[in-house]
Amino acid sequence: MQRFRELSPLRKKEAVFGWRLVSPAVILIGIFILYPVLYNIYLSFFQVSLTPGVPNKFVGFQNYRELLTDPTFWNSFGITMLFVLITVVGSILVGLGVALLMNKEFPGRGIVRALILFPYVAPVISTVFAWQYVLMPLNGPLTILLSNLGIMDVTQDLVNNPNNAFLVVSFYSIWKNFPFIYLMILSRLQSISQDYYEAADIDGANGWQKFHHITLPELYYVIGSLVLLRGIWNFYKFEEVYLLSKEARTLPIYLYEKAFTGLPELGVAAAIATVLFIVMMVLISIYVRKVLKW
Amino acid sequence: MVKKLTVVILTVLVSAMVFTQTITFWHTQVETNRQQRIRALAQIFEAQTGITINLVPIEENEILEQIPRAVQAGTLPDVIEGGISPILLLGSQGFMDTELNAKIIEDFGDVYEGVSRLMKAPDGGYYGVPFHAWVQGIWYKANLFEERDLGAPTSWYNILTAAKALNDPANGFYGLILPKKADAYTEQVFSQIALSNGARPIDRDGNILFNTPEMIESFRFYKELGKYSKPGFTSVPAALNGYLNNEAAMVFYSTYIMDDIAVEEVQKQRVEQFDPKLVENTGFANFMVNIRPSSFGEVVGLGILNTSDNKDAAEQWVKFLMSGNNYIYWLHMAPGGMNPTRSSIAQMDEFLDNPVLERYGKDQITTIISALDTVERFEFMEGEIIEEMSILSGNFVVGRAINLMFANDWTPQQTAQWAQKEAERLLGY
Repeated sequence: MQRFRELSPLRKKEAVFGWRLVSPAVILIGIFILYPVLYNIYLSFFQVSLTPGVPNKFVGFQNYRELLTDPTFWNSFGITMLFVLITVVGSILVGLGVALLMNKEFPGRGIVRALILFPYVAPVISTVFAWQYVLMPLNGPLTILLSNLGIMDVTQDLVNNPNNAFLVVSFYSIWKNFPFIYLMILSRLQSISQDYYEAADIDGANGWQKFHHITLPELYYVIGSLVLLRGIWNFYKFEEVYLLSKEARTLPIYLYEKAFTGLPELGVAAAIATVLFIVMMVLISIYVRKVLKW
Repeated sequence: MVKKLTVVILTVLVSAMVFTQTITFWHTQVETNRQQRIRALAQIFEAQTGITINLVPIEENEILEQIPRAVQAGTLPDVIEGGISPILLLGSQGFMDTELNAKIIEDFGDVYEGVSRLMKAPDGGYYGVPFHAWVQGIWYKANLFEERDLGAPTSWYNILTAAKALNDPANGFYGLILPKKADAYTEQVFSQIALSNGARPIDRDGNILFNTPEMIESFRFYKELGKYSKPGFTSVPAALNGYLNNEAAMVFYSTYIMDDIAVEEVQKQRVEQFDPKLVENTGFANFMVNIRPSSFGEVVGLGILNTSDNKDAAEQWVKFLMSGNNYIYWLHMAPGGMNPTRSSIAQMDEFLDNPVLERYGKDQITTIISALDTVERFEFMEGEIIEEMSILSGNFVVGRAINLMFANDWTPQQTAQWAQKEAERLLGY
């Protein structure tokens, strides 16, 4: 790469012009992304004061030490990782299954395809209320059904029980988000050339072999990208979890409580956000290099 | 001519924008009908004074979470309407104008001493002006109690005996409805039980007392009651609906329940069938006793914040809300639940001229209001404020302890131990 001063006058002008063109985007990214991230890291080294006139107090790495020795943090971290694993794997499997079904011709396919999108397009708050209603103890329709099947006791309050809440929220998240996966996979399925399947038919391949050797490899990058996207989204998922049950105790809820309840500890909350950011960046870079091989 | 007219219009518009004052008012009355009334009051106030009120309704359970967010964003209101916990939290952090709040109380001259005490700042002045108040107790099916010859549920013994005797889960009827969620409602119910047993989570010297025998005994009693309670962790609306639906013999609730019990159209917003006999068949135990008597209630205050740039307008708004017909109009949005904190208003015929208050009668309303003088809470001890309690309340320590006790079938000792450790962690001991 040539240094700027070594460029010809024309090239220099082109380079300056190029910077002028991208500068609005650079400035906007700086203001809306870089500044909040850096300010958050800065805050994580302070005991943030809420009292007017009292300045923030520099505490070095104390917030990080406090955080990393807090069992509640590690407990929430474990729950969050499990939540991401269950919801990503669950929604991919359900989305893939439904996409494969919806790729087949059958009467009324258009309507069914549209209906499947309902959980994804419906507002979170309305679906949350619906889930709270169907899982109500004693009178919830799903509670009654599950108790009739002998799966659970009709007096159980699944949504508000801190031991069950995490599982209920995970199932809700799979139900809410699988249509997005389904949509992405379906659009890729429709672009796979039929020639491959015809050639496989000639070779005598069965359904599973066609799926394993043609469909799955063709879907590799789509599924890979979906795992990455859903992984990031679900790692930071707040509103669905918080609205359905505050008892689920994932990391974003823990962060929120540290930052905004009781006597808030904004410095510690900033440290949590920084740790989450670092963990996420490491996981993403490993995934992108080793799995997606981009 | 057109130019002149344009200049005049622009001048009027600009001057209106420059000179119109706006103050932000946070309140906890989120129900639609209550918001309509508050909007009407704000419009009258604006017509009279030219001051615009920016109304921000916030759920009672959410207000403690909104405060720090607003502090960081610099969007705290000029005036806040809230319970003791948010007012104390703001006051202890230096956000309340204690002098101006005190001046308003003094200007009125007839605010009840008992409720003012709960808003008093330790170094003089008041964190807020007591605005309205409610009392909590057990509302019970008096007819069933009479049939079985059960005593009124005012003592631990009577409550447990009645819960056992009337519990009939096979027919969808339970002894009582008990909250078990990690929220303010659970803490309110537990407060009365613990205080009637001489237990409190923290004393004036800051000693955390969750692991005392009195507190463990209180957790044990709560857990025992849970055996005869309607299943579920139970939110406030669920408790109310359960009682109105005839699903339980007793419910812990505030005097806010009075219009739901008495007025057909209010009751029918919650349940399908109106029970016209519910008023006469319902009793109210407004105190509880085990080793000592205890009443529980909440005073909702109006506080002007130090950060307000429009303190004069804020003072006018507070005085407007607490005067004459405006005050009565506000209180009547929840008759029985919202009781006046000014003696002159409580004695006005216009205040008692209400279909709900009439059904209960002047004597019962007077009894409720008088109970406010003896209300006890974890945040107060012998006239002094225990500010650390607002941190424990803000983090729902009591509610979470009870929630975990029922979810994990913890013993009362385990529950007390958890609460003790959690309180120590939060207070940095």
